[in-house]
Order: sequence, then structure tokens, then C-alpha cells
Amino acid sequence: MNPSRRRFLGSLGRAAAGSAAVGLLGAPAILRAETPKARVVVVGGGYGGAIAAKYLKMADPALRVTLIERNPVYVSCPLSNEVLSGEREMESLTFDYRGLSRRGIAVMGDEIVEIDPEKRLVRGKGGAVYNYDKLILSPGISFDFSTIDGMSTELADSTFPHAWKAGPQTLLLRRQLEAMPDGGVCAIVAPPNPFRCPPGPYERAAQIALYLSHHKPKSKVMIYDAKDAFSKQGLFQAAWKEHYGDMIEWIPAAAGGNIEAIDPNSMTLVGAVEDFQADVINLIPPQRAAELAVNNGLVDASGWCPVNQQTFESTLHPDIYIIGDAALAGAMPKSGYSANSQGKVCAMAVAAAINGQPAPVPSYVNTCYSILAPDHGISVAGVYELKGGEIVSVPGAGGLSAADADAHTRAIEVQFAIGWYRNITADMFT
Amino acid sequence: MLKTCCRSFTARLICLRSLRLLLLPVCVICLIPVAQAEGVRSAAMLSHTCAGCHGTDGASAGEAMPTIAGMDKGYLVKVLEDYKQDLRPSTIMGRIMRGYSDQEIAAIASFFAERPWVSTERPIDGELAYQGELIHQERCESCHADGGRGQDIRSPRLAGQWGPYIQYALETCRARGESCKKRQGAERVMVLEDAEIQALAHYYESQK
Ligand SMILES: Cc1cc2nc3c(=O)[nH]c(=O)nc-3n(C[C@H](O)[C@H](O)[C@H](O)COP(=O)(O)OP(=O)(O)OC[C@H]3O[C@@H](n4cnc5c(N)ncnc54)[C@H](O)[C@@H]3O)c2cc1C
Repeated sequence: MNPSRRRFLGSLGRAAAGSAAVGLLGAPAILRAETPKARVVVVGGGYGGAIAAKYLKMADPALRVTLIERNPVYVSCPLSNEVLSGEREMESLTFDYRGLSRRGIAVMGDEIVEIDPEKRLVRGKGGAVYNYDKLILSPGISFDFSTIDGMSTELADSTFPHAWKAGPQTLLLRRQLEAMPDGGVCAIVAPPNPFRCPPGPYERAAQIALYLSHHKPKSKVMIYDAKDAFSKQGLFQAAWKEHYGDMIEWIPAAAGGNIEAIDPNSMTLVGAVEDFQADVINLIPPQRAAELAVNNGLVDASGWCPVNQQTFESTLHPDIYIIGDAALAGAMPKSGYSANSQGKVCAMAVAAAINGQPAPVPSYVNTCYSILAPDHGISVAGVYELKGGEIVSVPGAGGLSAADADAHTRAIEVQFAIGWYRNITADMFT
Repeated sequence: MLKTCCRSFTARLICLRSLRLLLLPVCVICLIPVAQAEGVRSAAMLSHTCAGCHGTDGASAGEAMPTIAGMDKGYLVKVLEDYKQDLRPSTIMGRIMRGYSDQEIAAIASFFAERPWVSTERPIDGELAYQGELIHQERCESCHADGGRGQDIRSPRLAGQWGPYIQYALETCRARGESCKKRQGAERVMVLEDAEIQALAHYYESQK
């Protein structure tokens, strides 16, 4: 047993004896300052992880919190569809971790490749070892290309970007749209449930149409869908029609929209019934939890991480908590707001566990805005609670923007979408 | 609606009483367990979910979203309850507040009332703020006293609030006409021109 681990057990022992306060107060000041109560390691500095790290420090400043993130900066997926329309630059989506460092969180640039739940440590790509008492993972998603013949990670990077992790692929898709001739076809291949950001592909269709309607008005946006229904469907379809006429067309699975294969040479998508050609193909593959979770035995047969939905502790390995898109979180959709809300519940549960207190009764919220035109925003909200161990929607609460909302309301929802983005990113990074 | 009514303590008392009198079969519905959190949720647990839109501890990072930290508790309770009961029009707050009991709303209001107010820190256009001040002195100071710094159960603090938020709130009230008129001061808002609203909003943001 390493020395710091022993120290941790020591303080836990005191807590268990019901005299934690006396034990800590009795210790000399220097010892109090140098000995962290416990070490919490958070892997993944996105919508879930950044929040978990910050709210842990807020809940209990005596914790040693380490945030491990493989990228030096974070690029937000929310609002990245606006880069495709040219309404927004990548800079406004990019954040660094200095604000979290200033809060006393140790931010480490590393990619974790291995988790050892027995020894309670994680290992970085270069061999660095990080010990933990509690481990929180918010690693996001990975892609399953196997259901689409001919598709691969390489093709996603070079030719058929998913742009479902904001970054170089977002810019590649933007360049492809810029190079597309007027009268061309941009195909969006939408994934089966469950996936990151249920309204995302349909907001993207609108943002692409916004660009095309100004610059290439004879073009089309075709959505080939693995599903027969989608989030906020009625609101989307009405807005598409209102702003872009017949430019956007949605082909559900029942009408042959499910794509089974792709031919890069002829730019052809092979559907169940017929084939479709396109000039630009944005293929959003089926999804599962990030590689880190898949490779370390933290997912079940669904490809996602089963957790205790009150605390987000893995049901497969104790002391490992999984939040955000990677987790199976009952009725909550995979969104940035959900990840934020889960990060807070998890942080409070971990702080309580370390301090020998019962897990707090949780409260969760989701709000997702979609911007369909510069003056047309819509939203979906959900309020959630724990019932019989499952996260469920509170009946009577939540729901969609009104179908008959006036132009003023639609315009204000765009301002609220931007205000939401300002605040949720400030909540993460300052 | 019924379920919402039954989440409130007083509504439930009324339901229970009428059940005893065997008055209405409707009240039996009230006793069917409605989704209710299993146990008491702490004020911090409830309130942290608001930060996604209103900023950490209710101090908004901008611009259409109001800062709610440091507001009068009674005012917050009133506004949140009005959202819940659809007495105050909103784009999204009504949908959200229907998810909370009256006790939870009181806890959320206390949480934010106890956080420190944080004023915005943006450059101010002195001329625009001055025009706003003239309108404020003439028509608003009687309730929004001390340049909008004063607050009570009926008037929120405005000094140092995000100007764009105040502007949207005033425009929305004006656009809604009748449904906003019940609110204190609304008849004065109805007659404001676009430029006056802009100046007024900017003036309040300039007052720290
Ligand atoms: C186009 C688009 C639009 C969207 N719009 C919205 C929206 O408007 N509102 C909304 O709420 N949500 C939106 N989302 C969804 C949102 O982006 C995700 O739900 C959210 O990012 C999930 O947070 P997370 O923490 O689970 O994962 P992420 O935010 O992806 O964070 C994961 C982090 O972990 C790091 N990581 C992964 N593995 C390792 C490892 N092994 N070692 C070290 N670091 C690692 C990654 O680098 C990354 O920084 C959108 C998504 C897309 C694609």
C-alpha cells in the first residue's frame, strides 16, 4: 500500500469513528495543509468532467482534485453547427483550463489508457501513474463504424467527416460545403438511438441550409435517417419549411433512409431500398461510450456504462463514477446540459461518500436549444428525479417550445441559446 | 394541472379535507402518488441545476440571462411560483418550474437570495446611460429606487444587471400587452419606444 493511500484510510477511519472533526482539528496545522482528505481523479475535461472537478472543489476544498484531459484546449460541440453556416468562428468554441487551475484543481495534460480498479490507479499514454480514492470519468463517446460497410475512422478524418466531436472535422465539413457547386447535394446520415445530442443532426440541417440558401440556393440537404422519428420533430419540420422551403428533405428508415454501406469512389450511400448520391457526405455513425470505458470493462452489452443513477458510481466497478454521454442515465438525453447536471450530482455524492455522509437526494435538469435561423430558436426542457433507482421525468414538467409561438418568442429563444452557452461554458471554465 | 396542484402543500390539505367530506371523486386522483423526489433535496442540489443558464451561484455570464444571485427572496419566490402557475408568461421557465414543489421553490429562492450580487463589468456608453437616467428618474425611480439598486418583494434589483436581458424583458412585456398589464409598472412599459427601452436598459447596467 502506498503511503498516501494509507493516509487516506487513516482519515476515513477517523470519519467512521465519528470523530473526523476532532481528528482533523487535533492535527498540527502543517499536517492539515499537506494531507489531502482524499484524492479524486477526474478524466475528461468536457461538459461533464470540468463541472465535476469544479463542484467537488466547491463542495469540499480539502479534497485533492486532479483533472486529466488529453487536449490542451476544449472545443465545444454546442453551437458548432453555426460554424457550418459561417455564423460563428471556432475561436468562440475554444476554452482553456486556466480558470480551473486557479480554483486549485491540478490540471494534467495526458491521455489515460488504462484503469486499474484493484490498485486504484489510472495510467497515462506515456506511463504516468495517477492514484485515486475516487475516480470520475466523463470521456464522452466513440463511434461504431461496423454497421456501415466501407466506412472507417480514416475516411471520417479525410472524406466523410462526422464532425460529432467539434474540431478539425467541423472545419473539413465547412470547407467541403464551400467547395460544393450550386445545385449540389449535402447528405447528412443520422444515427440510431441513443446518440449524443438528439436534436443535433436536425439543427445541423438547418444551419447548412442557412449557408446554402445565401450562397448556393439551388442545392439540397438530404437527411438519411436510421430512425422514423426524432427530437422536436414537428418544430424542426415547420421551421425548415418556413425558412428554407423544400431545400431540406428527411428520409426516415421506413422510407429507405437507413444507410448500410458507402462507396467513396462514386460518393454513393447504399440504402436498404435504393442508393443515393451526394456531393458532400456528413456521416454521423452509431455511437457508444468512449474507448476508455469500452476498453476497461465499464460498459454493458449496450455499449454504454451502467451506473447507480443516484451517485453515478459504476455498477461494474466500485469507486469509479461515470457521467455525461458515456453513462446510462435513465430518461436523460445525452446532452451538454445533462452532463453538467450529472457532474454536480456526482460531485456532491463523491464528496458525501468521502465525508462519511449518505448519498444526497439528487435533482437533475436538461435544457437544449436549437438555432434554426438567425431569428428562430426552439428548446426542449426536462426536469428529472430519482424514482426506484431510475432517473425519470417529473410528470407535468418540461417539454417543447410552443408550436404556435410568435416571431418575437422565436427570436428571443436564439438570444437565450447564446446566453445559455455563455453561462454553461463559464460554469465549466471559470 | 391537477398533479401540479397536488404538489403544493396547501392544495393537498384542501384535497384531503374534501376527501374526508367525500365531496369529489377528483380528489382521489390527488392521492394517487405523483412523482415526488424520494426524500428531501438540499437547496444546493436543487439550485446548482440553474447555473447552466444563470451562471455559477446565479451570477450570469451574459447577456440575455439575468443574474439572480442576491435578489430579494420574496421576489424570487413570487416569480418562480408565477412561472409554475402560468401567471407569468415565459419561453422556458414555466416548463421548468412545474417540476418543483412549493417547498423546493422556497429553498431555491433562499439559496440565490443568500449569494452575493455580481454586477456586469462592461464598458458603458455615457451618453446612452444619461438618456436612460432621465427616463428612469421620471417614470421608474418611485419603485426601482436608488437607481435600481433598491429591491423588495415586488421590484427586483436592476442596477448592474445585464442590459440586454432588461431590454428583452421590457420588449416582451410590451409585446404581450394585456397579459403583462397586471404587473406593477407595466402600463408605463407599454408606452416606451424602442430607443427608450435601449437607453433605460443600458442605464441600469451602468449602475453598479
Ligand atoms: C453538433 C453538436 C451540437 C450539440 N449541441 C448541444 C447543445 O446545444 N446543448 C447541449 O446541451 N448539448 C449539445 N451537444 C451535446 C454535447 O456536446 C455532449 O452531450 C457533451 O459534450 C457531453 O459531455 P461529456 O463530458 O460526456 O463529453 P465531452 O464534452 O466530449 O468531453 C469528453 C472529454 O474527455 C476527453 N477524453 C476522452 N477520453 C480521454 C482519455 N482517455 N484521456 C484523457 N481525456 C480523455 C476528451 O478529450 C474530451 O475533452 C451537441 C453535440 C454535437 C455533436
